[in-house]
Amino acid sequence: MGLEIKLTVNGNTHTAELEPSTALVDFLRDTLGYKGVKLCCNTGECGACTIIMDGKPVNSCVVLGADAAGADLVTVEGIADGDELHPVQQAFIDTGAVQCGYCTPGFIVSLKALLDRTKSPTAEDVEEAISGNICRCTGYTKIFDAVELAAKRMA
Amino acid sequence: MAKAEYTVLGTDMPRKGGVERVVGKGVYGIDLNLPDALSGGVLRSEHAHAKIVGIDTSEAKAIPGVRAVVTAADAPDVRYGRSYIDRYILAKDKVRYMGDPVAAVAADSQALVKEALKKIKVTYEPLPVVVDPEETMLESAPTLHEDMPLPKNLPEGVQVKNVCGYTGVNIGDAEAGMAEADVVVDEVYETKMIHPQYLEPRIAAARPEEDGRITVWANAQAPFPVRTEVASLTGLPLNSVRVISTGIGGGFGGKGSGVTSSAGLEPICALLALTAKQPVMIVMDKAEETISTTIRSGCKIWIKTGAKKDGTLVARQGKVVYDAGGYSGFGNQAGGRCTQMVGGWYRLPNIHMDGFTVYTNKQVCGPVRGPGGPQATFAMESHMDSIAAELGMDPIEFRLKNVPEKGDSIVGVPKLRDSSLAETLNLAKEKIGWGKIQLEKNQGIGFATGAWIEGSGPGGGAVVKMNEDGSATVHIGKVDYGTAAPFGIPMIVAEVLGIPTDDVTVLNVDTDASPWDAGTVGSRSMLVSGNAVKLAAEDARDQILRMAAGQLEASPEDLEIVDRQIQVKGAPSRSVSLASVCNAGHNEIGDVIGRGYFDSKASQAHERETGSSQPFTTHAAMVEVDTDTGNVKVLKYVAVHDVGFVVHPKAVEGQIEGAAAMSLGQALCEQVVHDSDGRTLNPTFVDYLMPTINMLPRIEAVTVSGYPGAGPYGTKGAGEIGSVPPMACIANAIYNATGVRVRRLPLSPENVLRALREAGK
Repeated sequence: MGLEIKLTVNGNTHTAELEPSTALVDFLRDTLGYKGVKLCCNTGECGACTIIMDGKPVNSCVVLGADAAGADLVTVEGIADGDELHPVQQAFIDTGAVQCGYCTPGFIVSLKALLDRTKSPTAEDVEEAISGNICRCTGYTKIFDAVELAAKRMA
Repeated sequence: MAKAEYTVLGTDMPRKGGVERVVGKGVYGIDLNLPDALSGGVLRSEHAHAKIVGIDTSEAKAIPGVRAVVTAADAPDVRYGRSYIDRYILAKDKVRYMGDPVAAVAADSQALVKEALKKIKVTYEPLPVVVDPEETMLESAPTLHEDMPLPKNLPEGVQVKNVCGYTGVNIGDAEAGMAEADVVVDEVYETKMIHPQYLEPRIAAARPEEDGRITVWANAQAPFPVRTEVASLTGLPLNSVRVISTGIGGGFGGKGSGVTSSAGLEPICALLALTAKQPVMIVMDKAEETISTTIRSGCKIWIKTGAKKDGTLVARQGKVVYDAGGYSGFGNQAGGRCTQMVGGWYRLPNIHMDGFTVYTNKQVCGPVRGPGGPQATFAMESHMDSIAAELGMDPIEFRLKNVPEKGDSIVGVPKLRDSSLAETLNLAKEKIGWGKIQLEKNQGIGFATGAWIEGSGPGGGAVVKMNEDGSATVHIGKVDYGTAAPFGIPMIVAEVLGIPTDDVTVLNVDTDASPWDAGTVGSRSMLVSGNAVKLAAEDARDQILRMAAGQLEASPEDLEIVDRQIQVKGAPSRSVSLASVCNAGHNEIGDVIGRGYFDSKASQAHERETGSSQPFTTHAAMVEVDTDTGNVKVLKYVAVHDVGFVVHPKAVEGQIEGAAAMSLGQALCEQVVHDSDGRTLNPTFVDYLMPTINMLPRIEAVTVSGYPGAGPYGTKGAGEIGSVPPMACIANAIYNATGVRVRRLPLSPENVLRALREAGK
């Protein structure tokens, strides 16, 4: 084992050891148990492993776990308020935007990061925020619907 | 319409399992936590075609922490395949594509697996590589499978090589028909290989049990075929193999099953676990998947059609060369379907088609979303526009002139009970604004129709088990990856039993408990499991009503279940709760267990007699072509579909939109690229381009009603047909915008610009 790092995930403080070469996605999933962070392309292209790191959305497959030392992370597991779903999460269910659901955590985290940045995003802001998230099931139409519904409910 | 007639059907019930998915509870194969599991990995061929002279695993085996190293020599001498049984669990004497599995390792860590895979020494004797399917048919081509015969149904006198499937279509007299045509259009089209690129990597996990059985976890679409393959390739009887379906993060046919997906991953994992006598889990890397698992094949299509001056089609002749890849895989089935669909779904009295499925040294053909259909339709529906142009006819009017009607036969359908094709054409025309919308320079509108003839296939069962509180637990053989299992299936059970959908649990597949099923494939979930679960729920309801009849002093026929209460029709105050009857049933008949089975053969026989109602569709696209860069922007996209009765509108729209998007990806950018050595040049997502949200328009899915299908309540399959028209639809829109016909996919800036330049534009 190499390094010991301390970090905050969804408000919980963790101290854990990791190899210097371990990707953050693997560290979050395998060591800390945040399996909502989805593993897919390992090249930072599909957005399935998106998390919020110190306020910014990042693809955790192209970040080293070691770089998260001292960081404040939010994963999809940290977005609902207890049993109460975040409006974006609820809207994904209500509009049928969840088919297989594998890309869903990444989309929700990207959108949460957007809504943390700006309360009333434009259509271009939304497209930009989730243009790094690939969905192969929906053709994105129901995801557009979900974003619109969530924005309406949050207004 | 639906809401008046039904309580649950036609509503947008929230997806079962939706909450787990939006909060990130691990429900997928990749999230499986198997205590003490070893890591597994597969050594893949670095040659596209080579003899295996020898495999030395001694160094790999000697590494501390390596628990199993297996090759074909460690497995029974059994091959697998669908129509050609041409493949070993691990390559035995030859490798036939770059990515062919050769050996596998289980070790204490992933790092050790990687190290051990590097230490396996395979001695290859390279053989000539053939990647072009046309070339592989020539006498001069190398032989890919020495002991595989040519298809028995090959027409006499045909001289070919490396062919592993033939489909002929012979209707009327195509030559005589062609001679009577006023106009003949003769074209050649070409499509490229794409990978389904479901987001969740394929996994397999296997655990040898104390009693000699083995448990296998798979994120496969067809758990029962996986069980068959694991048993046969490891030499175990079926009752010693248990396959448990995990949650599945996308599949699109790519996770069809071991055989049809040609990954063979589950049997390989089982062999490792049995050898190591420990649980093993394999997680594939996405780049490894792109080079080794099954794909939507590329094909070349020759199509020649004759028509009268008034637009009446008189004859079609054509040929399809369909790429199977290194093994037959699903090639014969997909190539056959492709050949039939090039024949089309219009009134056409004379058709002759020859379809050849051929081996090449590339990834193996799988049943990817509408296998063969999108490719066939790219050619057939682009060609229909070419004929319309040659005749000087409006493309919609030309198609309407030739649509089949009630009582007509089309390729693959002896008799139609009705035909929605004309209605979808007219509605698509209206929705896109054809003839009304003012098009700017380099903008154009295109149409393409589609069909997905409900094919033959095995039936399947369902069990509805009532609990003593009146809730229901449902077993079917279809998996949950966001199609019928979490939407339509629980709704049907709730509708029949008069209970809310919250009271219905649909279990994922466990081959020890679930009824046998061929898999979640072929747009058949509602047809097979929907029909079966309706019968099972009705069986359970009948048992319940018989028990309640005595208590309510009424005959069972006079009873109904409404909102968890069994009541006398017309006298709802005479009622008893569903829960009390189910509970009391324990002292009368035991559990209320309803059983249902969809009899596929009987359904097909019935439809041969009465005629069948097939799903038809028309898509319409408005595009803008940048003539300086060749870039095509899709401005508007409408998909009009007849999918019969719609049980869950949003789920059906989602299937249509997703299927259309996948083929829009193939239309605009997707392709797996090979060099002449058979090496995949774009294995990772960095180089394999797929549509993102800013590339696609918002797809408008519209359904028409009034054409009930063979599914429960008149549903038809909706999962694949949306992928059929898009490639032709975009090509036709580009033609409308620029006057240039692009006959080779993808319609990428490069290919479009080349076509524009060649046409002097």
